[in-house]
Amino acid sequence: MTSAGGIIRALNSGVKHLAVKRFTLRYPEEKLKFVGDGFQFDPQTGVGIAGLKGRHILFHDKCTGCQLCAIACEGIAEAISMVKVNETWKHNKKAIMPQIDYGKCVFCGLCVDACPFYALYMTNDYELSSFSKEALIYTPAQLAVNPKVDQDVEIKIDKRGATHG
Amino acid sequence: MITPLPPGIQLEKVDDRIMTLNVGPQHPGSGHMRLIIKVDGDYIVSCDPDPGYVHRGEEKMAEYRNYIQNIPHLERPVIHDSCNILYPYCLAVEDLLGLEVPERAKYIRVIASELNRCVYTLYWLAIYGIFLGHSTMFMWPVGDREFCIDLLEAMSGARVTHAYFVPGGVRNDLPANFEERCLRQIDYFEKRLKQYEDIFYQNPVLKQRTEGTGVLSRMDAIRLGTTGSVLRSAGVDFDVRKKEPYDVYDNLDFQTQVLKEGDSYARSRVPYLDMLESCRIIKDALKKMPKSGSVRTKLKPNPKGGNDEVYRRVESGRGSLGMYVVSDGKPEPYRVKISVGSFRNLICMPYLLKGEKLGNMPAVYWSLNYWPVEADR
Repeated sequence: MTSAGGIIRALNSGVKHLAVKRFTLRYPEEKLKFVGDGFQFDPQTGVGIAGLKGRHILFHDKCTGCQLCAIACEGIAEAISMVKVNETWKHNKKAIMPQIDYGKCVFCGLCVDACPFYALYMTNDYELSSFSKEALIYTPAQLAVNPKVDQDVEIKIDKRGATHG
Repeated sequence: MITPLPPGIQLEKVDDRIMTLNVGPQHPGSGHMRLIIKVDGDYIVSCDPDPGYVHRGEEKMAEYRNYIQNIPHLERPVIHDSCNILYPYCLAVEDLLGLEVPERAKYIRVIASELNRCVYTLYWLAIYGIFLGHSTMFMWPVGDREFCIDLLEAMSGARVTHAYFVPGGVRNDLPANFEERCLRQIDYFEKRLKQYEDIFYQNPVLKQRTEGTGVLSRMDAIRLGTTGSVLRSAGVDFDVRKKEPYDVYDNLDFQTQVLKEGDSYARSRVPYLDMLESCRIIKDALKKMPKSGSVRTKLKPNPKGGNDEVYRRVESGRGSLGMYVVSDGKPEPYRVKISVGSFRNLICMPYLLKGEKLGNMPAVYWSLNYWPVEADR
């Protein structure tokens, strides 16, 4: 008798679930909203600012070519290499800037922690897939572009359950 | 043509009643690990677990990277529980470098660690469910994991492999309105967890399958050196969070979950009860957390430790997880030894499976809360 009751209770629990709203996120049509504009770091206080660790953004007017990001990455993913750029900056005499290989990057964000000049941040762009390995290597010019994102879906909880949207 | 055997090598004597089965290492029933099982008909005569298939040399890698660079790769063994595997490392390095952790950072760490325990346990529960043929129990936990992952993503910026803990605190402060969002989602998550009772834990089909299979007695659990949910399900009240409280666990209000039976059912129920307890801890920590303040002690670019050695351990999703860090005054650690709960619980396998039916193998094996990648390190 008890086992029959148990099976009925289990079935009942499953049937009740039919009235609950669908929780699944329909990904390419809907995209999750993140806090802030991506992970940033303030070298003065030594504390980061919360945000998604996505593709990097490089500010050419601030980068001095000090290579600290490449040194930080050396023991982790070896994704950052310093390359020559055709730009003349007073603060960047050697004219070298980081180039990031997203085939190797693990998105830990320790390069952002290493930058003392507010030049390297991360953004909310996480859709980086490509058909070739070469296209995964982002040059300094590509890294300077601010990505366009339309992410607006959040988890909503009401009486009929939780949904995305 | 049969090549003759080299001298000195003896083949095992083949008994025509006993058959040897290799379960794994690529069989989904065993994870990335091989179980050499000998069966007589349907009954298991002996079981010899053979770990090491996904050994990655994490401990050796740690000797060539400095204390900060070690963070992203040390969390790779358990990406679902990455905060908990970094926790003992950070505690040990803080002791080595003599760092003071701000009070707010301690609470944030506790919240992140408890959320991560839920993420790991739900993933494990989903696998446990699907191997018992209960596909609803695969769908529900994987869906409900999203609440905890969403909160962790808001905190740390990554869904898994957060790289959030550093020696000296956490990498960034909580985002705005996090407390309110966390309370709302954890409340709902707790409500969802309670629905697992009817469909899974009180389900007579699961009870018949798991009750009384793979019984581990209290004395055996102690003698074999098991830890975590396996030890607590056999009636031993041991939880590192209670016995050796780290950070602020001694200020928080929670209880350890202990069951007496020691069978597969009890082993699968203790992590579930732990998750409910985690929800209480998170709510309590949110209440007691200082509302503002620093979250990270500023570090020198290339910190060096003295000639010292430290062992610290925490309670992870799979039991006590310890890190032994030796420093010889260089920026890199001299040695990092990781002691994980998965590997210590694996030793039960030959004792638990002897005399069981082969069909009960997944029910016993997955109840051990074993994570092959972590055990191999």
